[in-house]
Amino acid sequence: MVAMTTALPKGSSGVENHTSQNPPRILLAKIGLDGHDRGVKVLARSFRDAGIEVIYTGLWQTCEATMHAALQEDVDVVGVSLLSAAHMSVMPEMLRIREELGIEHIPLVLGGIVPEADKPKLTEMGIAAVFNPGSPIDAIIDTLKKLAAKHQPSDFDSLKTGYERRDMRALAKMISVIQADNDCAGWSPPKGVAKIIGVTGAPGVGKSSFIGKLGKLLRERGKRVGVVAIDPSSPITGGALLGDRLRMMHDAPDEGFFVRSVSSSGSAGELAPCCSDVVRLLDGFGFDVILVETVGAGQGDVGIRELVERTILLLMPDSGDSVQFSKAGIMEIANCFVLNKCDLAGADATEAQLLGAVGDSRPILRVSTIRNEGIEAVADWVSSPRS
Amino acid sequence: MSVKPSVGKQSTSTKGAEAKPFVGPEDLGGYDPAKSLGEPGRFPYTRGPHRTMYQHRLWTMRQFAGFGSADDTNQRFKYLLGHGQTGLSTAFDLPTLMGRDSNDSLALGEVGRCGVAISSLADMRRLFDGIDLGSVSTSMTINAPAAILLAFYAAVAKEQGVPLDKLRGTLQNDILKEFHAQNEYVFPPVPSVQLVIDTIEFCAERMPQWNPVSVSGYHIREAGSTAAEELAFTLADGMAYVQGSIDRGLDVDSFAPRLSFFFDVHNDFFEEIAKLRAARRIWAHVMRDRFKAKNERSWLLRTHCQTAGVSLTEQQPTNNIIRVAYQAMAGVLGGTQSLHTNSMDETLALPSEKAAKIALRTQQILAHETNVTQTVDPLAGSYFVEKMTNEIEAKAYAVFDQIDAMGGVFAAIDRGYFRRCIAESAHAAQKRIDSGDTKIVGVTDFVEEGAPDIDTLRITQDTEDEQVAGLKALKAARDQARHTAALDKLRETAKNGENVMPALIAAAKADATVGEMMETMKAVFGAYDGGPEW
Repeated sequence: MVAMTTALPKGSSGVENHTSQNPPRILLAKIGLDGHDRGVKVLARSFRDAGIEVIYTGLWQTCEATMHAALQEDVDVVGVSLLSAAHMSVMPEMLRIREELGIEHIPLVLGGIVPEADKPKLTEMGIAAVFNPGSPIDAIIDTLKKLAAKHQPSDFDSLKTGYERRDMRALAKMISVIQADNDCAGWSPPKGVAKIIGVTGAPGVGKSSFIGKLGKLLRERGKRVGVVAIDPSSPITGGALLGDRLRMMHDAPDEGFFVRSVSSSGSAGELAPCCSDVVRLLDGFGFDVILVETVGAGQGDVGIRELVERTILLLMPDSGDSVQFSKAGIMEIANCFVLNKCDLAGADATEAQLLGAVGDSRPILRVSTIRNEGIEAVADWVSSPRS
Repeated sequence: MSVKPSVGKQSTSTKGAEAKPFVGPEDLGGYDPAKSLGEPGRFPYTRGPHRTMYQHRLWTMRQFAGFGSADDTNQRFKYLLGHGQTGLSTAFDLPTLMGRDSNDSLALGEVGRCGVAISSLADMRRLFDGIDLGSVSTSMTINAPAAILLAFYAAVAKEQGVPLDKLRGTLQNDILKEFHAQNEYVFPPVPSVQLVIDTIEFCAERMPQWNPVSVSGYHIREAGSTAAEELAFTLADGMAYVQGSIDRGLDVDSFAPRLSFFFDVHNDFFEEIAKLRAARRIWAHVMRDRFKAKNERSWLLRTHCQTAGVSLTEQQPTNNIIRVAYQAMAGVLGGTQSLHTNSMDETLALPSEKAAKIALRTQQILAHETNVTQTVDPLAGSYFVEKMTNEIEAKAYAVFDQIDAMGGVFAAIDRGYFRRCIAESAHAAQKRIDSGDTKIVGVTDFVEEGAPDIDTLRITQDTEDEQVAGLKALKAARDQARHTAALDKLRETAKNGENVMPALIAAAKADATVGEMMETMKAVFGAYDGGPEW
């Protein structure tokens, strides 16, 4: 009944042999202009429930940006959702870029409306599995887990060499190693010079889009920017939906802009134990600025202070809800307040309320991410010496 | 912030949700249809917008078609008209839907695949070659660049010598549901809706027989919402357009009679009928009581329906003919004004000519053989259907309250409310399939081995190559000074917040492309990068 072809050898039972302690990481991508995302979103949620970390890169991605994301996120499988019938144009391009980037170890799978006649051709060109509408989700998950289990961890010494040569693949893999066992056999990365900035705020204030725009401006100013985007994971299954990345991606892949999605340990407001190691790895790799986006749980979310040098608290005009929401805890640790979405009504009132709540000793900056306004002042603040 | 209504989770198609074996008068909670239901063609129009409905005039059989080049689709249009279809419905390819030209870098592999590629007035002229725009009614499924396609249509009509006030048809032009569900948006929500209102204003003045907006629940439902969410979100969007037009200074009765709707008809037979009945009743109350419309025609909800594409299966595709037939009957018993029946092969490819014809024949059999057309709203007074109509209506009002509490549709978009509701409902429906609660014939049960054995339509790469070459030739041949001046004028008009329709028509005639006009407006309106995703 499974309308599916797979390149896996028969009888492969890789799940038990999964050597890494990390949950499987899968990048789901929609390529091109097709906006039909019900399927990909249903799958993302089902994968999460099955204990998989899902990185969804959102709509309208190019093949190139998707494969660069796969490299940076060090995923175990890349899944492409195509309902536009463009698979015979898109998949060969994905394979070509995969080879160009030297990440042939990451299997590519395809889901969508694929005529029967195209399936053998796709398998032959190197697509690991093809799923259709109606493919049972359990079977899809099973196939993905088997494919993920084949993803072998790399030798640590060769990773070290690559890391020192500033090879992004090595950095990406090194992060996975740290996440798996939180131990690097006594090795620690060199101390770098990065300015390490936390970005936090309540859900919906637009942290990821803001980081995307800030990162872009810092890049234009010649800074190398690393981003750690932390999202909650399920304490029960270990699965997670990591969707922040999609607001940060730039049109063209960029060697000086690295984004890594990390799932938190699950307890609200606390940061994943490996987060500080990830930040140290990015620092040692030579980034000039590291932006750490946290879950944004609000009041309790003060763990970020241990991790970063300075913190930006993002707020938005909403009749003071977010000011009220954030009053305790997080308001004290913020070094800079950014009022986002200033294109919306009520910005003046919220700013006044904020000023009343925190005084004028710390900067309050007005920004509209959607209009790309006010980002310069934030970039100036980020680049300024610590006070 | 993560508000999620408990709407429609207990869809009647869910096993166990309707535990009682039958429904009686005691289940109506004091509601007496004999007293409160009203008659067809009378306020609140629960039983139908017109007095005699199909006795007097059948619904319009409007099959969505479009693929390949303008010439390919022109031939399909003529084929369908030749087989008794009564209105045209145009499907555009993805680059056109996204307001991009066929030679755009993101258009790779997508030109002419899912619809027809239209990048310029020259393409539009070929699309309607030999078809008298004064005698057909044409529906165009297009949203972000809808105003541009309307400008093309108006320009072609002028070339044919047909006056604008003779043109009949519908522009989908419902940008709000793109933010909720289908994702074919370009500009941010606020300027996007202003552009829609430009077309409403233009049509109210110049094209009085044209429906400028088809407020659509179809895509919301196909993206995974429940029936109640589809109903509520669609009507909430409709109210946003009405409010925006009133804020523009238009008299509600000058445009409201031309607003039309578009709903999905899904598998749950009675729930779909109840949804359409409730939609009419809610809209009549909203237009009369909330927006103070005085013209009775402003109170009418007139709708197109399409059978549920998402319900079709790749496995045993001929079963889809049966699904479509039941769904079509639900649409007709629900009182639709026009109908598209899906072709059985649509999960595999664009419809083949044979599959498209069977889909049309399905409607013709329904209209001419089953005799369901003999009386209006035959299910009126059914305890079950009346109860369901009341329930789905109540759920919709609860959603309106939530949206109002958030500060309206724009604020709700900003919070990711619609997307989150839809994604969670889609996931819940999938879980019911996985658990075996929802059965799908040929997929979860009654499974057969082997691949489907039907011939499907293939689109070749030729269309893309021809389109790219055609655009190159067009750009080389056009009057560059006139072209530049037309785009400058468009930019100026958009900046000043004036109605852009006249400037778009002038730009169309100056051979500006869809992509060029969209880029010009994007420079003024900005681009939307999507709201919260989860």
